[in-house]
Parts: sequence; structure tokens; C-alpha cells
Amino acid sequence: SAECETTLRSSDTHPDGYPTVEGVKAMAAEVKEKTGGRICIEVFPSSQLGEEKDTIEQTQFGVIDMVRASFGSFNDIVPVTQTTSLPYLYRSEDHLHKVLDGPIGEEIAGQFAEHGLIPLAYYDGGARNFYNSKQPIRTVEDLKGMKFRVMQNDVFVDMMSALGANATPMPYGEVYSSIQTGVIDGAENNFPSYDSSGHAEVAKYFTLDQHLMVPELVAVSKTSWEKLSPGDQEIMRTAARNSATLQRKLWAEQEKASEEKVIAAGAEVVKDVDKTAFIEAMAPVYEKYVTTPEARDLVKRIRETQ
Amino acid sequence: MLAGIAALSRLNGFLSRVSLWLAGAGLVFMTLIVFAQVFMRYVMNDSLLWVEPVAILLMSWFIFLGSAVGVHESFHMGFDVLLFFLPDSAGNWLKGLSDLAVLCFAIGMAVYGWQLMVRTWGTTLPVIRLPGGFGYMPLFTGGVLMTLFVLEHLLQRLSGSRAEAQQDAEDILMTEA
Amino acid sequence: MEYLILFGVFTLLMLIGTPIAFCLGISSFATVVWLGLPPLVVFQRLSAGISVFTLMAIPFFIFAGDLMVRGGIAGRIVRFAGSLIGHVRGGLGQVNIAASTLFGGISGSAVAEAAAVGGIMIPQMKERGYGADYAVNVTSMAALIALMLPPSHNMIIYSISGGGRISIADLFTAGIIPGLLLALALSFTAWIVAVRRGYPTEPFPGLAKVFRFLLESLPGMLLIAIIFGGVRSGIFTATESSCIAVIYALLVTVLVYRSMSWRDFVHATQQAVRTTSMVLLIIGMAGAFGWLMAYLHVAQISLNWMRSVSDNPFVILLLINIVLLVLGTFMDMSPLIIITTPIFLPVVSAFGIDPVHFGVIMILNLGIGLNTPPLGPVQFVAAAVARISIWEAMRSVWPFYAAGLLVLMLVTYVPALSLWLPALFRGL
Ligand code: NA
Ligand code: NA
Repeated sequence: SAECETTLRSSDTHPDGYPTVEGVKAMAAEVKEKTGGRICIEVFPSSQLGEEKDTIEQTQFGVIDMVRASFGSFNDIVPVTQTTSLPYLYRSEDHLHKVLDGPIGEEIAGQFAEHGLIPLAYYDGGARNFYNSKQPIRTVEDLKGMKFRVMQNDVFVDMMSALGANATPMPYGEVYSSIQTGVIDGAENNFPSYDSSGHAEVAKYFTLDQHLMVPELVAVSKTSWEKLSPGDQEIMRTAARNSATLQRKLWAEQEKASEEKVIAAGAEVVKDVDKTAFIEAMAPVYEKYVTTPEARDLVKRIRETQ
Repeated sequence: MLAGIAALSRLNGFLSRVSLWLAGAGLVFMTLIVFAQVFMRYVMNDSLLWVEPVAILLMSWFIFLGSAVGVHESFHMGFDVLLFFLPDSAGNWLKGLSDLAVLCFAIGMAVYGWQLMVRTWGTTLPVIRLPGGFGYMPLFTGGVLMTLFVLEHLLQRLSGSRAEAQQDAEDILMTEA
Repeated sequence: MEYLILFGVFTLLMLIGTPIAFCLGISSFATVVWLGLPPLVVFQRLSAGISVFTLMAIPFFIFAGDLMVRGGIAGRIVRFAGSLIGHVRGGLGQVNIAASTLFGGISGSAVAEAAAVGGIMIPQMKERGYGADYAVNVTSMAALIALMLPPSHNMIIYSISGGGRISIADLFTAGIIPGLLLALALSFTAWIVAVRRGYPTEPFPGLAKVFRFLLESLPGMLLIAIIFGGVRSGIFTATESSCIAVIYALLVTVLVYRSMSWRDFVHATQQAVRTTSMVLLIIGMAGAFGWLMAYLHVAQISLNWMRSVSDNPFVILLLINIVLLVLGTFMDMSPLIIITTPIFLPVVSAFGIDPVHFGVIMILNLGIGLNTPPLGPVQFVAAAVARISIWEAMRSVWPFYAAGLLVLMLVTYVPALSLWLPALFRGL
């Protein structure tokens, strides 16, 4: 049975070889094996089918079957993802995993169905950190008045003003030269992107403040999902869960490798950050975005997860 | 029939002029806000966060309005070498065929543009906090205008009253990219 | 079958004269329907394809170009170049190239350049006994310098077509040396032809006049320094520099030269709307077409095919150059950049060629296509200004083509010509 009866097309914005792409590929291999080659999953890496928001829409409309996207890209579609993407919500990656793999993870997943999406797995996107070309950042005061490129997302923008810095929207492709020439002072991202974008060359002060831990989601279109038999659905779920374990391992390796690479290249990684002050500065952000009793309860339960 | 076409022509002439003025105003306004963004960031050290999404919306409006005007004025760049070697009657026939294809696409733009608007109305555009459907409004509007404009050309062709615009040096200036 | 529909419908529509933008859109629409996918996606890609902030540079640079031509900035630059080097053999040809180089540093449009410089130079050249064919060929080839020197909105289109991650600042910088090299090659060719045809020299007007014309053209030319200096010193980004160009062109023409009336302004604005909405609609439609090419793995198929032909990057680049030159004869620059970049960029990247370097190759290659019939808009404008047919101009175009192709080969096979300067600036 060499021929695929069903081909599920999955989109990713990251390039081939990136942990998220490799994760879905591993899932594809397991699904193909367990269905005797009936169901194939084909990954389209490098934004070939569009940016995250576009490919989420395509998955909702049933144009493509699967999407891998950051929680941040679901913020304006599935409101609960905004609460779970709040800055400094998680103490560590371990804490994040415990939340996602427990009842809260199930609860979040349930909220996607009415938007035409079935979540299958939570992948790691690492922690996002500040980096800049001016000085090492240890305290909130160090950030004051600096210009940071952030994504066009209300929470990120409000987080920057709460820290006294200027959020500056900018296309990703212009960040390198803008840091180099001083249009902006820095940006924020995880270690692998800091390395692969070359930003480490122009912004050598990296602060491990872990302000955002935004999980990555693998979701399948409700239209495509309902065409699968319950048995195949189960195979998909199991394969997705297994791929998450692999993806998290690959992610940790990649993060470590990138960290070592940028340090070797001369980046200065600041680890003694006054994190309490950063967390305290987030009060207005939480006030603005955690408005309903349900959201307050969710934040409380996330914080209490041990 | 001819009276109907003439009425459509008058309506289209008006819509096209209004669209061109609105699109021009959009371009000028876009210039001003992007300049304000540079000024605020460099001089006032304070970024205007709404500039990027607003500028993108404006650009979307002026492109779809401007492209619709392009259908009305027939300035969209094409490859008409074959038409040049064919007799006029055959050329006219092929142009009618081409208009028909454009008409189908324009109707698709209006119909699916509307669907996209409806289906994304529940989401929110970041920073400017408008319903997501606003992003697809220019597409829908452009589709409606193009449908009207190309329909006029097609009807004129069918009734034999279509006069092709002559290309002059000014037109050539525009067919560059 | 789906490949046949996508490319077949596109070709058929193109042959019956359907505007390129709609050829792209309709063939995508037909393919999506054939595949049984929701047609919604075609229109989503169309809308998403133009909702990109970086694209804004295209309307701005085109708008600025329209303002500069209409407001007399181009004319003053030509006068200055004339006073400076008109006295060499075949001087007006040299003036034409020098003016194109200077104006090319503030405008990115080859057609605007051909119209602006040619509009002033060609009548003068004819009057002074130069062949109209010579005047057309010098004008149309020198106009390509505008594409290579920053600003160049076609480089932005390339960057976006390549996924938006290729640095525009790097592309702009990479075009400088190849652009100047092209100017040099054309200047040499124009001189040889002028000597052989015994074209005259112009009297030197004296340093005082050179200085006066320099002063007059300076406010316009200052834009080179403003764009370059502004980007380098971090006041604005490469994309934003396009907006600064509009504001500056307005300031100079309205306040300094006082040559821009309200009517001129309205006209320039409407012309810019026409040109840019045409270009950007093609970009949006190509977004849908490109989505289908990705969905159908066209890039992988062409990569495999190229690999089967050769595994030598030297040969692959030659092959791609030939394909682009052929396509460039009958198609326009921006749609070709948009359609072929997603196909060729993964291929050349697989062969280890830098995307910035490839961008410069592509712009120069397709630039030459702007001067080749049947579809040669730059050549068309120059010939229209000179009131001769394309075929009359073609008789003596060969040395100029040869110069252009020579520079293309140099740029293709000497990556340092493109990559040395960006690397230098990265290091600063
Ligand atoms: Na230029
Ligand atoms: Na050509």
C-alpha cells in the first residue's frame, strides 16, 4: 500500500529542519506507519503557504488540513490563548509543560473547536528574551526609553510600555539593519531565532528574562478531522502526543546549541536578572487583559500548578 | 439595451472618478502617517503603533480602488502581441473572451470577498481593535466595482459600441514596473 | 492535470491579451476549483499578498519619481551633467549616461528615467546630428542604471517574493557597484560608437556655469545623501526612506523650485495611483499563483529538473540567466520577479548562491528585458520620444546589448561585485 488515500497538508512558518517542522514530520511518519500508508501528512515549511495568521484561516476554512502556529497568532481568534500567553506567567519551561499537559491544557484545547480547529499537540517555542545593542539589562530601569521591535500584538505592546520601553513595530526583515544603524535598540526572541536571524551579530547583550513562554500548537481542521474514522483519529492523537515529546527534546537541544554558538561568537548573556521587578511591573497588563472571573481563575490555577 | 449601457457608463464614469480621487487621497494620507511615524520615533522617541496597521489598510483600499479604475480605464498591463497580428474582428472576439474571464474573476472577488468579511468578522485586528472583516472590505469593494466596469465593456462589445482607447506616450509611462 | 490548468490557463489568457494580473488570478482560481479546494483561498492570498508593510515602498518610490519628473528635478540634473562632460567626443551620449546615473540614485524606475532623461536629451541629440537610433539606445540602456542603484523598488519586490527575509538594505547596497559598472560599460560603448560615427563635442561652458548648474540641481541630488545618510544613521529604515523621498521631492519642487502647481500635484498623485495599483495588483494575484505553486511543489520539481541537467552552480546560473532573458523578452519585470523568485530562489540557494547576489543578477537580467521587443517598455518610451520605430533603434542596439550582457556575466560570476559592499557596511 504505497499510495496515500488521504493526504493531509500541514503548514509551518519555520524552515525545514527546525524542531517544529521535524516534530510534525515525526508525527507524519508514525501516522503513515500505523495506518499502513493510508494517511500521509505533508509538511510545507518556510511560510510557503502563508504566514501564521493566514494559514490558521486556511485551516479553519478547510483549504489546508493542519497548521503549526504560535499561541500568539491565535490571540485574536481564541480569546483564552491571550490569557495563557501573558508575560511572566510561567516560572519555568517545566511549569509550562505541567500546565499544558494537565487539565488546563485540555480545557484550552476545548475552546478551539467552535473556531473550526482541533488541537492535537503543544510544542515548545522556548522563552522569549530581550536583546539589544546598547547595554546589559539587569533591572527594569535598564530598559527605560529603549526602542524594541515587537510583533504586532496588543499584549506584547502593552508589556513594553509597562516596562517603560518603546514598542516599535517593524517587518522582521528590517530588524537586523535597524539595530545596526540604531533605528531601534533591540528586539526580543528565543535563542535559536536570535542566532539564525544574525541579530546576535548586531545586538550582543542578551538578557535571560524569559518574559514570554508562548507555546506552539499543532491543530487540525475540523472539516478534515471529521472525515477521519475514530480509529484514525486516535492514531493521529497518539502520534501527535509522541511527536510533542520528540519536539520538546529537539527544541531543548537546539536552544542549547544556539546559546553556545552565540556566546562563542561574542554575545553576552545576562542571567542575573532582577525578575521580581519585571513581574511586578506587569500589574497593569494583567489588569487590562485579565478582566473576567474565568480568566482570573485560570491565571490563579496556572500559577498554582506545581 | 443601448440606453441601459449608456446609463451604466454614466454610473461607472462617476464611480471611477470617485475611486481615483479616494485612492489618491489614500496615497497622500499614507505618506503623511508614515512620515509621522518616522518623526515620532526619531524626534519624540515614541512609536505610533497604529501607523503600520492603518497604513496597510489604506494601501489595500487604494490598490483595490485603483485597480478597479484600471479596469475602467483599461490600463492594466497585458501582452497584446497576438492581437496585433490578428484581424480586428478576431481580436475583438478574443478581447470579449478575455473580458468574460475577468468578469468571472471580479464576481468571485465580490462573492468570496464578502464571505471572507463575514467569516472573519468575529476576530479582531491587532492594535486598532477593529473587526477582522475590515481587512477584506477593500477586496469586496474592488470586486463589486470591477464587476460593474468590466460588465460595461462586455455589453459595449456585444452591442458593437465599444471604442478602444488609443495608447499614447502618457499611457506608456504608466505601463512600467 | 492541475499543472496544465495552472500554467495552461495562464498562457492562454496571456495570449488573448488578458492583463497579466488577471491571467495570474484566473488561472489560480481555475486550478483551485479543479482541485476541489475552497476558492476562498485565492482571494485570501490576493488580499494577504498586498497587506505587507514593506510593499509600501513601491507606491512611495513611484510617487516620488512622478513628482521629481513633473517638478523639474530631473531636468536640472541633465543640465548639470551636460555642462560637466558635454565636451568629450560624442558628449551628449556621455551626458545622457551621467544624468541617468545621478537621477538613478534618487529614482528607481527605469521608464521614468527614460522618459525624464530621454525627454530632454533625445531631441537635443537629434538636433546636434546624433543618430536617433543611437540616442534611443543610449537612453534606454542607461535607464537601467536606475534599477541597480538604490533606491530600487524592484529589489523590494524581490525581497518580498523571496519570503520577506532578504535584507532590503543589503540588496540596495549590493546594487551599487554593479550599477556603476553598467554605467561605465555603457559609457565606454557609447564613446566607441560615437568616435566611429564621428559625433561632435559640445563647447565647455566654463567652470562658472558648471558651478551654477550644480547649485541648481543640488537640492534634488541631495536626496541621494538624505536617503543613504538617513538609512545609515538610523533615522529611518530602507522602507521608510521611500516616504521621506516623497516628502523631500514635494518640499524641493514646491518650496525651492516652485515648479509644482496643485494641478501637477493632483496629476502626479493620480498617475502614481494608476502605476502602483497596477503593479501591486499583480503582486497580490501572484500571491495566489505562488500559493498554488507551493501547494503543487513547483519549486521542488524545477529543482529536481535542474539537478538532472547539471550539478554545477556555474551551469545552473547560466541556465537561469538564459531562461530569465527569454522570459524577459515578452514579459514585464515585476510580474517576472514575483513569479520566478519562488521557483528559482530555492534552487540557487540549494546550490549555495547568496540570495542578495541572486537578487542583483535577477534585477539586471530582467532590466535588460525591459529593452527587448516584443515587450520592451523602456525601449518603447525612448523610441516614442525619438519618434522612430523599435526596429530602427534595434539596428544599432547590439553593442549596447553586448555591454549589458557582459556586465550581467560579470555580476553573475563575480559574487564579490554584489556582496563586498554590503559585507563592508555590515562590518561597520
Ligand atoms: Na535607483
Ligand atoms: Na522585453
